[in-house]
Amino acid sequence: MTPGIAPAGGLCRQCLLPLGPRPMRRSIDGASHEFCCYGCCLAFQVGNGSGEESEATWLLVRLGIGGFLSMNIMMFSLLLYSGTFEHADAELLPWVHVLLWILATPVLVILGGPFLRDAWEGALRGRLTAATLIWVGVLAAYGSSAVSVLTGGTAVYFDTATMLLVLFTVGRYLEAAGRARAVRSLAPLLEAENQWATVVEAGSESRRPARDLPVGTSVRVRPGERFPVDGVVEDGMSHADEAVVTGESRSVAKSPGSMVIAGSVNLDGPLLVSVTRAGPATRWAQICGAVRESITQKSPAQRIVDQVAGAFVPVVLVIAIGTALVWAGSASFEEALLAGLAVLVVACPCGLGLAAGLAGSLGIARLASRGCLVRGGGILESLARVRAVAIDKTGTLTLGRPRLCGIETDGAETDEVLARAAGLERHSEHGLARGIAAAAETRGIRPVMAAEVRVIPGRGIRGVVEGAVAAAGTAAFMTELGWHLPERLRARAHDLEAKGHSLVYLGWGEQVRALLWLDDALRPDARATVEALGRLGLDVVLLTGDLPETARRAAGMAGIPSWHAALSPEDKKATLVRLRQRLGRVVMVGDGLNDGPVLAAADVGVAVGGATDLAREAADLVLPDDGLRLLPWVIQLGRAVRRTLVTSLAWAFGYNLVALALAASGLLQPILAAVLMASSSLIVILNSLRLERFPDPPANVVPPTPAPNAAGTLSNIPASAGT
Amino acid sequence: MTYYLLVFVAGMAGSFHCIGMCGGFACALGAGPHGRGAALVRHLLYNTGRVATYAFLGVIAGSIGALAVAGHGQAPALGGSFDAAQRVLAIVAGLLMIVMALQLFGLLQRLHGMLVGFGGSTLVVALRSLLHARGPAAPLAFGVINGFLPCPLVYAFAAQAASTAAALPGFLTMAAFGLGTFPAMLLMGGIGRLLRPAWRQRGVWLAGSFILVLGLVTVGRGVLPLGEHGLHLAHQGLQP
Repeated sequence: MTPGIAPAGGLCRQCLLPLGPRPMRRSIDGASHEFCCYGCCLAFQVGNGSGEESEATWLLVRLGIGGFLSMNIMMFSLLLYSGTFEHADAELLPWVHVLLWILATPVLVILGGPFLRDAWEGALRGRLTAATLIWVGVLAAYGSSAVSVLTGGTAVYFDTATMLLVLFTVGRYLEAAGRARAVRSLAPLLEAENQWATVVEAGSESRRPARDLPVGTSVRVRPGERFPVDGVVEDGMSHADEAVVTGESRSVAKSPGSMVIAGSVNLDGPLLVSVTRAGPATRWAQICGAVRESITQKSPAQRIVDQVAGAFVPVVLVIAIGTALVWAGSASFEEALLAGLAVLVVACPCGLGLAAGLAGSLGIARLASRGCLVRGGGILESLARVRAVAIDKTGTLTLGRPRLCGIETDGAETDEVLARAAGLERHSEHGLARGIAAAAETRGIRPVMAAEVRVIPGRGIRGVVEGAVAAAGTAAFMTELGWHLPERLRARAHDLEAKGHSLVYLGWGEQVRALLWLDDALRPDARATVEALGRLGLDVVLLTGDLPETARRAAGMAGIPSWHAALSPEDKKATLVRLRQRLGRVVMVGDGLNDGPVLAAADVGVAVGGATDLAREAADLVLPDDGLRLLPWVIQLGRAVRRTLVTSLAWAFGYNLVALALAASGLLQPILAAVLMASSSLIVILNSLRLERFPDPPANVVPPTPAPNAAGTLSNIPASAGT
Repeated sequence: MTYYLLVFVAGMAGSFHCIGMCGGFACALGAGPHGRGAALVRHLLYNTGRVATYAFLGVIAGSIGALAVAGHGQAPALGGSFDAAQRVLAIVAGLLMIVMALQLFGLLQRLHGMLVGFGGSTLVVALRSLLHARGPAAPLAFGVINGFLPCPLVYAFAAQAASTAAALPGFLTMAAFGLGTFPAMLLMGGIGRLLRPAWRQRGVWLAGSFILVLGLVTVGRGVLPLGEHGLHLAHQGLQP
């Protein structure tokens, strides 16, 4: 059972990040949306506003009018503070105060309304939110100013009350806009479920939701569009960018008959595609589900930060009241009020809550854009601290497909041997048999027709070739048939077996005529990957269940200094534990099919081979087919994410604490405090945005298909013919 | 007073630059369906919002200047003694103005891209959806937000306002500049079409020259080794 697409909930409509502890729901232009914060609600309305009557327009008008009033209040207040109305114009002063009061009151309604609603909704759920802090501050400033005007005093702070509202509204908006920009790259990874397709039916085109399309429907995909479905090209020529699904960074040519993958991008020509899979069945939808799941999964760091931020609000309220009381003892009421207000404003823990989630999500998005899926942002943090890499051999370091290395004959022509062997073996599904058939094909040798073919499990295959019984298989099979094994072949076989090769004997005419040896080929990018890992300061170790000789040769070819052979799955786990004690955190790389327990035992388990179904696999990270080469890049990305996270957290914590201290000691004006808080959040976002500039993995220099390799090496190791 | 007249004229010359940048917005605002009177009200509201933003920026800049010079709470006396802090402020503000003037001449393009690009796109998105809003308040809101659009002219005069080192002259400087841009922007619908691009370019150069001169004078106030009295004499007409 594959995990279906998660319901649309859980992520903010605007910034695509998890909703968090204080989600809000608003209906905008008739549709209901969920947002993680008020800022995202603002940004969504502004960004999606269309039409004259849209709420976005109304919102901006409110912002503009609120800003106009607040700026006028601020101007008069600054002139007041600078002493313009002293001396000759002193009798104007009370009237200026009344004017400020008149200007400030609508601002409270226009800009304060949404915050009041937020605070009220929080209060109903028994929570103190940041909006509560803002409202306490604004009300304190406004109320005390109003009392001051009525009693003829001079402590008038309408400018503080209104400017706080303006700055918080604009600050929230800018923060949300920045965040949405930061995680823009997530969008293509989350939109599989609401894709629309252009369906061509009886010559006319119509737009329909892609998930409901039956198999065989014709869909038109224009250049620049994403393929909404899996399918086969019916008409047209183009290229496709499939990086999101396969990790392949080069464009792939598409012509009639080519398969196209949902989620990849059609680059340069219109294509008509016949649907083979749509909706949740596509791999893209599964990737989207996995990405959604992983960004809603909280890393340990994030959980701690959330707890701290959650405890912040009541603590700050207490500190603010305490500050005001302490100052009231030693200084004037005005100074006490302003210091208390500054504390309230400056301690809003916005930047703090932002740091961890943003860095993790950006990292996940970068990985997913190359077809790599990760189980939660915490995995990236663990990857950054890994000290050693253990790699499984078969299917991970190697292709998992045996390849013919050489032929030893007892007088027969090698081409004839290969033609006969292939004639028999192409009837078998065995790995060795397929290797032999493939070798014949790449050398252009036509297999000889075989009749009455029978596969004897665990032994080999036999049939009638050119009128005589022929057989291919193990030495035991040859012995059972009673066929003579020439001494020359016997000696060579002994030699080869000691080196860890797999052997196939071929005989006809009551005699063993040839010996074929095969080996599992190294992935073309294996050596470069191991070298890159070494440059990252990681120890690389090969773990395999194969014979020591096989392991030695594979390790030598890949440039791995240390290897452990003949390991059962339990042995592998034990070896992993020893490695961890000796070297530190270990990442285990396997093919994810039969090494589940070992992957689960490692600090980070990595499966290579495009298994998108994270739920079924024990892997923390899944790399696409041919994705081994991406491993160094992924580890570097993990390190970058961790660096970003640490610097952002250090900044947000430090900034909050320093600003809090300044505010409590009365050195910070409340308005300045609000500016500082907004800029703190923006700095955290800018810091996280640097992850966007993290370089892409190097392009795959070796062609991903193993075919040229199989042909190449066979000619390198010449088949030797006997005398 | 001469000083504010000079800033007003610089603003008028600078509005040729506005026609290129913000003029598009003003034009779009102009075509009101309710006749000339309604259109005039809309434009008055729009320009009031714009000038209010400039004046606000002027007060802020002036106050920041005052803070930089004398520490907070104390406004320096107008035309008072020139201490070291005031000299530094004058040099910094003057240099900023010179940089902005050079931009108006088409130099320093990279810096221009940085200044205008920063935050500009977010504001433009907001402005676009406001353009077609109905109701009398919309043009005012539009003007207020328009005033915050990144613009070298505004930066230059904000720097000048800061160099005055007090809230009131800062306010007056930016208000004078804003009022200077008023006529051209108000008549945007007509003038925009009458003026050929070559003339517009000359207007922008004129504005650039004004700002360059003002910037040089401001830097001069900080650099020239004149005593308080001599300096006052040398720039009598230019002191706010």
